[in-house]
Amino acid sequence: MKKEIQTSKQVSLVADKVSLSFGKILVLNNVSFHVYEGEILSIIGPNGAGKTSLLNCLSGFYKPDSGRITYRGEEITKVPIHRRAKLGIGRTFQGLQLFPGMTVINNIMSGRHIRMETNFLQAFLHWPWVHREEISHREVVEEIIDFLEMEAIRHEVVGNLGYGLRKRVDLARALALEPKILIMDEPMAGMNMEEKEDMARFIIDIEEFKSIPIILVEHDMEVVMDISNRIMVLDWGNVIAEGKPEEIRTNPAVIKAYLGEAEEEIQHY
Amino acid sequence: MQSDQQPIKFPPIEADTVPKLLRLRVRELGEKVFMRRKSLGIWQSYTFLQVYEQVRNICLGLLDLGLQEGETITIIGENELETFWTEYAALCARAKVVCVYPDTTPQELEFIFDNSETVVVIAEDQEQVDKTLEVRPKLKRLRQIVYWDPRGMWHYNDPILMEFKEIQEKGRKCGQKNPEIFNQKIDSGRRDDIAVLSYTSGTTANPKGVIMNQNFLLDNAIRIFANLPIKKFTRYLSYLSPAWATEQWFGITLGLLAPFEINFPEEPETILSNIRELGAGLLVFGPRQWESLASSVQSHMLDAGPIRRFFYNLGLKIGYKIAAGKTEGKSSNILWFLAFPFADQFILKSLRDNLGLKYCYLPISGGSAMAPDVFRFFHSMGIKLRNAYGCTEAGMFTTHMGNKFNLETLGSWYVSHPDIGPSFESRVTEEGELQVRGGAGFQGYFRNPEATQKAQEDGWFKTGDAVRMTDDGQLIYLDRVTDLRQLSDGYKFPPQFIETRLRFSPFIKDAIILGDTEKPYVSALINIDAENTGRWAEKRGIAYSTFPDLSQNEGVRNLIGQEIARVNNMLDSGARVRYFINLPKELDPDEAELTRTRKLRREFLERKYGEMIQNIYGGSKEFPSEIPVKYQDGRTSVVKATVYINPVELEHTGESAI
Repeated sequence: MKKEIQTSKQVSLVADKVSLSFGKILVLNNVSFHVYEGEILSIIGPNGAGKTSLLNCLSGFYKPDSGRITYRGEEITKVPIHRRAKLGIGRTFQGLQLFPGMTVINNIMSGRHIRMETNFLQAFLHWPWVHREEISHREVVEEIIDFLEMEAIRHEVVGNLGYGLRKRVDLARALALEPKILIMDEPMAGMNMEEKEDMARFIIDIEEFKSIPIILVEHDMEVVMDISNRIMVLDWGNVIAEGKPEEIRTNPAVIKAYLGEAEEEIQHY
Repeated sequence: MQSDQQPIKFPPIEADTVPKLLRLRVRELGEKVFMRRKSLGIWQSYTFLQVYEQVRNICLGLLDLGLQEGETITIIGENELETFWTEYAALCARAKVVCVYPDTTPQELEFIFDNSETVVVIAEDQEQVDKTLEVRPKLKRLRQIVYWDPRGMWHYNDPILMEFKEIQEKGRKCGQKNPEIFNQKIDSGRRDDIAVLSYTSGTTANPKGVIMNQNFLLDNAIRIFANLPIKKFTRYLSYLSPAWATEQWFGITLGLLAPFEINFPEEPETILSNIRELGAGLLVFGPRQWESLASSVQSHMLDAGPIRRFFYNLGLKIGYKIAAGKTEGKSSNILWFLAFPFADQFILKSLRDNLGLKYCYLPISGGSAMAPDVFRFFHSMGIKLRNAYGCTEAGMFTTHMGNKFNLETLGSWYVSHPDIGPSFESRVTEEGELQVRGGAGFQGYFRNPEATQKAQEDGWFKTGDAVRMTDDGQLIYLDRVTDLRQLSDGYKFPPQFIETRLRFSPFIKDAIILGDTEKPYVSALINIDAENTGRWAEKRGIAYSTFPDLSQNEGVRNLIGQEIARVNNMLDSGARVRYFINLPKELDPDEAELTRTRKLRREFLERKYGEMIQNIYGGSKEFPSEIPVKYQDGRTSVVKATVYINPVELEHTGESAI
């Protein structure tokens, strides 16, 4: 399923020497990388390597101590989270951040709110144009439901769904933002084999059909090797390797850092 | 033989092919809604005219691809608009159509493509396209693969692939250039054109492509239309795959003949909510779907509070006495009659509504036998579920008709239209095999003269089904003829039928039917259902300590005897169970007596319980037995019990204990 990236590489997002520390702990040490349009870039590394912190810097939850983040040629290091969302940086979460008491539809709809024009009072009065606006948003949401094959659970309350499906709702909500780049934090964690296969297929479809680049943090090496165009390896806040899956697979530094003593294991992949 | 029903008045046949019928309906009903599909959460309608336009475009598009009369196209996909449109289009082009189940494996596909001489494959999505591409190098005739859901195939660039839209567009252009060609094609269709090849599932050998010509499709649709109270514009939910002959008759053909408003579910998983949204009037499901509907009600009620449960049970009880009683012709106390309108209005109606069966006037179960108790459950709710029986090769045979019918049988015979062909007849051979002839008749298996010949005998089609005919000409399905077993006197009996029917009893968990060429009569080893039988015993104040004790209790033995006698009533005297033993120990997959899916491991069982079996045929009344058991922690022990051999009274007297 892997697709070679075109030679005319358009850069979507660049991190330039990003550093972050909590107190005396250096979490990210001069991390630099870039994501091209239309590729799946995976970030891997052992626990505590700084993957989630890096994602948080990209989406704006953390402010890096130094370094620059550029998105489509514009510096966004200091841009607040909601503005980044509006710029088109979508993200899914490792721990689920959904509204468990609301239905699937409403959860996905909530992803549309930054695209909504109506204010509180207008929504309360529900004037015809508000109604029209709601319908147009619902259309977008229904298309996402179709895309992620969630027709059967459309009206279910999210709290009643299994973990794998909740993850899918989370992804749907991120897509509802109509992102131009998608950051996914461990989308497969805690899923069974079938759910993982579905999710992997969705990720590929998103990248192919909507042609948006995806930054993926994931522990399941089989999936990562299978669907990524490029892989970056973090260890203790440092980038120790970067390249195509087959290069990473054989990189001795990665084998040492990532799997430590269990060297045989990575050779399976 | 024919049942003695009132003669049916058949209207003249309106059109002799399905495409002509389509054109006729479009002229009559142009702006009426013919098909609906739920897409992006909303039901979207297509009128007859719109469907006709689609069919025309697809047909002309296929012709533009070079599709010749008599060539074959194969459709693989779920029930969707495109499936039906494409089939109608191919029939208009006088091509043969094969519909395949979406879960068919590449190996099976290869055989079907090859055997049917498929030149164009119309596939739903990437999954089907990938399977087709996998076997394509071996297929010389295949010229084009068309798909209607492009998802995931944005980077496919094999020249054999084409998007459905392109075909529609090509067809539209051709139609503008030459508007008459479509009509001429339809006009040229003849009633003996091969319309569909329906591949039967090949569990033992390769599948066989049953030939259905236009006449045969119409014959079956007319049979159903004339014999059952089908209403015009019935809301029909297309759920069964058109790969199965039933949907060819009910959906594709009857859908036009009646005509129906044909609805397509959003996704196979949303079927239950779709049924409810629609309020479908006619539903054809397999036993599995009906059973899962029934169990969904039961499991929801288990979660309900005690007050709701009380009213639910009360409502069902009253419904059972009156509604189900009415079907089976049982009379009831006047008090039940008085209570029924209230139960129906306040309890049963909402049950029907919640299942989405409120407007369902013709629910049908087909495909294989279903437990009468499942039927009774639906009848108690006021849903007159009927069984339908037929076979791909010879069409619809029987269905429960009218208001009163016997749930144990397969129903009354269909009468075929006199203009279709000789009248439809049946006979049961000495062997117990059902044979039929008449109607449009068996057309043979495609490119398989050997099998075609083997399936016929002096003009009769051999169904391979062993049946028993009741006194009023109705059928009881027993088994496939090849699954019958022979007794020492040469008499053949249906062991699986008896076992299945015994398992329908709430008190019997498993039954092993004994009888072979060394045994003079049929007998049974019964594994009683400890829970239900225990509850039954408690209610009657029967004291027992352990399972062996319960199983050998005299009351319990009589109870099981009655259950067996009830099944015996459905059997010819030679096939009836004469003696039975209640096993003093439950059958257990841990001891390899059952498979993990609870199928009997027959040979092992007959060895393990060999001594008991000898005793049954040895003529003793009781004997001491010792059965080794293995506990889950690995310990072993021996169950000791005195086991009784019980004769079964041949005349059944007692009322069923449900």
